[in-house]
Amino acid sequence: MEEQNVQLEQTLGNIQKLVDNVETVIRGKRMQIQFVLTALLAKGHILMEDNPGTGKTVMAKTLAKSIAGEKGGEASFKRIQFTPDLLPMDLIGSHIFDDVKKEFVFKKGPLFCNLLLADEINRASPKVQSALLECMAEHQITMGETTYPLEKLFFTIATQNPVEMEGTYPLPAAQLDRFFIKIYFGYVDEETELNIYKDYLGIQNNLDNIKQVLSMKEILFLQEQTEKVFIHEEIITGVRNIVRDTRKHADIILGASTRSGITFLKCLKAFALVNGRTFVTEDDLNQLTPAVLDHRLIYRNKEAKQKALAGILAKELDRLSRLKITTNANTYNQSSL
Amino acid sequence: MAIKRIHSWKKVIAQLILLVAPTVLFFFYLLWDVNRFYTILENDWIHQGYYFMAGIVITTVFYAWRFRFITTAAVLFWFYYSIYKYVGSISVGEFDAFYLSVQFIVFIFLFSLGWLAGFGFSRTRYFTILWSVLLLVLQIVVVSKTTDVKVNVLISAFAPVLAYSFYIIYTAELIRNMNEEETKFWWFIFKRVSGFLLVLLVMFLVLFNIFKSDFATIEKKWGNAQANYNKGDANSENMNQQDKDGGIGNKDQTKLSGSLSKDKQLIFVAKLDNYFDDGKTPNPLYFTSCYYTKFDTLTQTFERDSLMPYNDLYEPDPSRIPLYFAKWDSTVIKNTFATKNRKVVTADIYKVMLSANRYLAPSTAFFCQPMSVPKEYKEQYKSTYRAKMWVSDLNSAYFIYNPAGNKMLEQFQNVRFTKLREVKKITGPDKKFMDYYTFMPNNADYKKITALAKQVTRNAKTPVDKMIAIRDYFLSKDEFNQPLFKYTDNPGIPGMPSANKLTYFLFENKKGYCAYYAGATLFMLRSLGIPSRVAAGYLTVDRSSKNPGWYWFYANQAHAWTQVYFQGYGWIDFDTTVPDMNTHQATQPDGTPPTNMPQTYLVADGEILALDTAKKQIKMTVEKLLYHDKDYDTKIAKEMTIDVSIATISADTGAVKLSSLKKGVHITAVSFSELLKNILATSKDSLASVLKKLPNPVPIDEIKVMSKEELKKLKKKNKELPGEPIDWIKVGWSILLIITALVILLFISPWLIWQYLNAKAKKMNANKAYNSYRASLYYLNQMGYFRNEKGPQEYAYAMDLKFGSNINAFSNVYQKIKYSSVPLTETEQKMVNEFYKPFIIQVRNKIKLKTRFAKFLNIYNMINYFTQPK
Repeated sequence: MEEQNVQLEQTLGNIQKLVDNVETVIRGKRMQIQFVLTALLAKGHILMEDNPGTGKTVMAKTLAKSIAGEKGGEASFKRIQFTPDLLPMDLIGSHIFDDVKKEFVFKKGPLFCNLLLADEINRASPKVQSALLECMAEHQITMGETTYPLEKLFFTIATQNPVEMEGTYPLPAAQLDRFFIKIYFGYVDEETELNIYKDYLGIQNNLDNIKQVLSMKEILFLQEQTEKVFIHEEIITGVRNIVRDTRKHADIILGASTRSGITFLKCLKAFALVNGRTFVTEDDLNQLTPAVLDHRLIYRNKEAKQKALAGILAKELDRLSRLKITTNANTYNQSSL
Repeated sequence: MAIKRIHSWKKVIAQLILLVAPTVLFFFYLLWDVNRFYTILENDWIHQGYYFMAGIVITTVFYAWRFRFITTAAVLFWFYYSIYKYVGSISVGEFDAFYLSVQFIVFIFLFSLGWLAGFGFSRTRYFTILWSVLLLVLQIVVVSKTTDVKVNVLISAFAPVLAYSFYIIYTAELIRNMNEEETKFWWFIFKRVSGFLLVLLVMFLVLFNIFKSDFATIEKKWGNAQANYNKGDANSENMNQQDKDGGIGNKDQTKLSGSLSKDKQLIFVAKLDNYFDDGKTPNPLYFTSCYYTKFDTLTQTFERDSLMPYNDLYEPDPSRIPLYFAKWDSTVIKNTFATKNRKVVTADIYKVMLSANRYLAPSTAFFCQPMSVPKEYKEQYKSTYRAKMWVSDLNSAYFIYNPAGNKMLEQFQNVRFTKLREVKKITGPDKKFMDYYTFMPNNADYKKITALAKQVTRNAKTPVDKMIAIRDYFLSKDEFNQPLFKYTDNPGIPGMPSANKLTYFLFENKKGYCAYYAGATLFMLRSLGIPSRVAAGYLTVDRSSKNPGWYWFYANQAHAWTQVYFQGYGWIDFDTTVPDMNTHQATQPDGTPPTNMPQTYLVADGEILALDTAKKQIKMTVEKLLYHDKDYDTKIAKEMTIDVSIATISADTGAVKLSSLKKGVHITAVSFSELLKNILATSKDSLASVLKKLPNPVPIDEIKVMSKEELKKLKKKNKELPGEPIDWIKVGWSILLIITALVILLFISPWLIWQYLNAKAKKMNANKAYNSYRASLYYLNQMGYFRNEKGPQEYAYAMDLKFGSNINAFSNVYQKIKYSSVPLTETEQKMVNEFYKPFIIQVRNKIKLKTRFAKFLNIYNMINYFTQPK
């Protein structure tokens, strides 16, 4: 137990290092980095949406480089550029006839890796999209009779251009649901942007010289520990309230599902760890709610998109902030930390 | 530069319909009320209402655009100024200029008020509260100046303003908060407003229920008046009205109408002790019921005005005074301002159809003493009272008509004219009096009357000669030697329905009944600057030489005439109605007068304690006693046993059986018994000692039962009498004080809450962290740094940046305590214990005292702290 605690302390420290590490390349995006790690620790996947050139791909690359692979080297990183003519086979792999053995052997596709960057996912046809999402959910690929498991650590960073753009196949709600978190990258503030321009060569060097701060093993350990993060009953109630409120809200056509709620809880725990805490707070709820829930909801109109969830969240935060301190004895103690 | 709109059209329309329209309606009512209060006789309130309406409607629409108030107001004032200059340049003559400038000032005031209200409704949130307080204060002022405060006056003054205030504050807030994108916008508004109105209605229904009895009486009165109208032709006018008890009396107003209906019922009989100098020839006087001092030009109606200056009308309710107990009011005498040729005259009035609560007497009456009707006349007369008047020697019902050779009357006329000729110019007691009684409506019709009056009186020098000239004008003959003016009950109506009936009467028709003559004379006199008014009552006709001093009054004798004021002599009756040539005066039969009134020895007033129907004895309390015409009064009621075997028992409604009396009923017992004649009381005697001298039981001849309703009112009055009259200004002040106290309390409430939270946060206990956090957040919130939808960390971080404090670190510790099972470290515990005080000091040092003070006054911040975000 003690030993595990020490290890946890250490790995928590390493997470901070990882965040710092990535930030040397992706500047002014600490929040987004934290979200990416949250999705990673919660054993989920992340969807990034924004205009081209905001650093989505670099982010994925840097992350891959920062994680040490199992047998030395870095974590295996694959990148697929999605295009309208991409076929599922191009992702999964295919049976190829081996001249020597005189039989079909399975040639693994790019999905068999630790870190997958699915670039511009909404440019591919729905067939390809659903193939990818299927794999993400099942963690395995079935070809004919044989089932091939994916890597133990399999994390997808999908990017997409804003839905309004031409030549896109928007992801349906059911498939968006597979992504734990969806973040908007956005442009950096003016000062950071100036720094980036001044130091663009340095950034390129940083990317090449990135250190490996976290091992694959540690990530798996953290993924395990995520489950044990303490979550107060009132926060769970808060999640329940928010999820239910999205279903009742007049401006939301499709509310969040129960599965979303569970995902939400997982993400909260992971986010607490990313922030170096072993308990979830109001702040986590505040920061995660839009990232986790926004893409799962269908709004009545554009204005509602900006207001509805914020309103629900504000109401819940208000409730939580007024709560008196309750003794934790009567909350179920899930944590062994 | 295009000016943007602030409000959508939807909102502006909602404001116009829901805020402006009710305000304008309410203002019409208010202006009408204020006009009535200040007795502005013309119907200016309609114009005034339009001014206000113009102001408020224009502004509400205007300020829907992004205009600045100060600049636009400056432009408005520039307009005012230019119009003022323009008006000044075109108006000719002093009067014209004065009249126009007064009108213009009224216009500016009301239009600006409307302007301000429109701006307030459109832009400012708390304006409605201010507005309501203003109107309420206005109403308090009006009520505090009303002399005659009754429940219905209070209700009519406060109910509308309160209802309006609630409505306007609620609706303004509703419109402010409405969602304009709402698809069912109007349904949303309708739902809420109707819901609110329903609540208001329920509230007022409850209120009305409480005052139901008062309203019932008013309603009944109205209902009867209505029925009376419907009896005859809808357009016909009756000068009598049926009172709620079925009796008859003069009406409170008289309308100039196409025809007059008359009945030939006997109303009352009176004995008037007024004789000419020879002491033998009776001098009949007109019996006055009330004075019409106001003329409503719109409905062409003469009306009573409770606000006439120096009220000299004494109006007791004889049915509410115990038998034989007198009630008088000497201020009436003072208010006549008459010292010359006045004397006290007594009259006994025997009511036949006249309502029990009516009081009639020649002017100027000041005394009323109900008496019992002798037994043998009980069937004939309902009740009787004695009246005393401060009567002018110069008054007589014979004033107008040719004395027809009667030497005494001719001489009387001469004496009177000579005396009144001494008055060269009439001056009233003060300017207000003169202005009030010489008021003329200002329009062309009345200028015509003025011209006529001047023409008729061109040769007359003194006021009385002018009066005679006017009288002679009405009596004059035309070129065919026919009377110029004729009397008719059916003068008809002018071709144009809205035409002035007085000018129609004077210049075209020249036919009419008394109200026409009185009205025309009134305005002719007033146009000459002679203060005058119309009196309503009954014409006194001396028909019989059999019973000198006795007069019989029939319903068709209801009459209106003019009274003129002469300084020193007071109000003098002056009748210009010409005789009715077509119908000869019906010789109404004179009955036998109720004579031989027995001498009253004892009158006792009190409640029945016990009733013995077998012995015919009653044990009663005595609160007031009249014995041999001397008054005795006691605070502790004494007991007395009376013998009622020969007594007649009656109430206002008629005879009552002994068996129907009950314990607790209020009675007045009267005795004419010879037994009491020789038992005399000395001046030293008290009520108790007088009772001891009396035989037991006391023989009683008459018992009058006071009805319960009357009794209630009597008791109420008795209760109120010892206490001072309610000082409405005082009440207004105390209401204002309470409101001020509440407002102050409201304003310091954020500070009080802060004190509470601060005290709690300073204490060391298990909840230290929570209390500190709460107090800190409240303080920051009150300083205007709202957390709103920010997360705790985000907020704390922003605050740290602002104040250089360490609330972020504390907030993190607090979150840890709140949401984790991990125990605090030592440094964290220390942080919890020591965070609060330095933090508050830090924040305090960064904000100026002035700012902090102002922020703490802001209730909105406090409300924001306690309310959930939307």
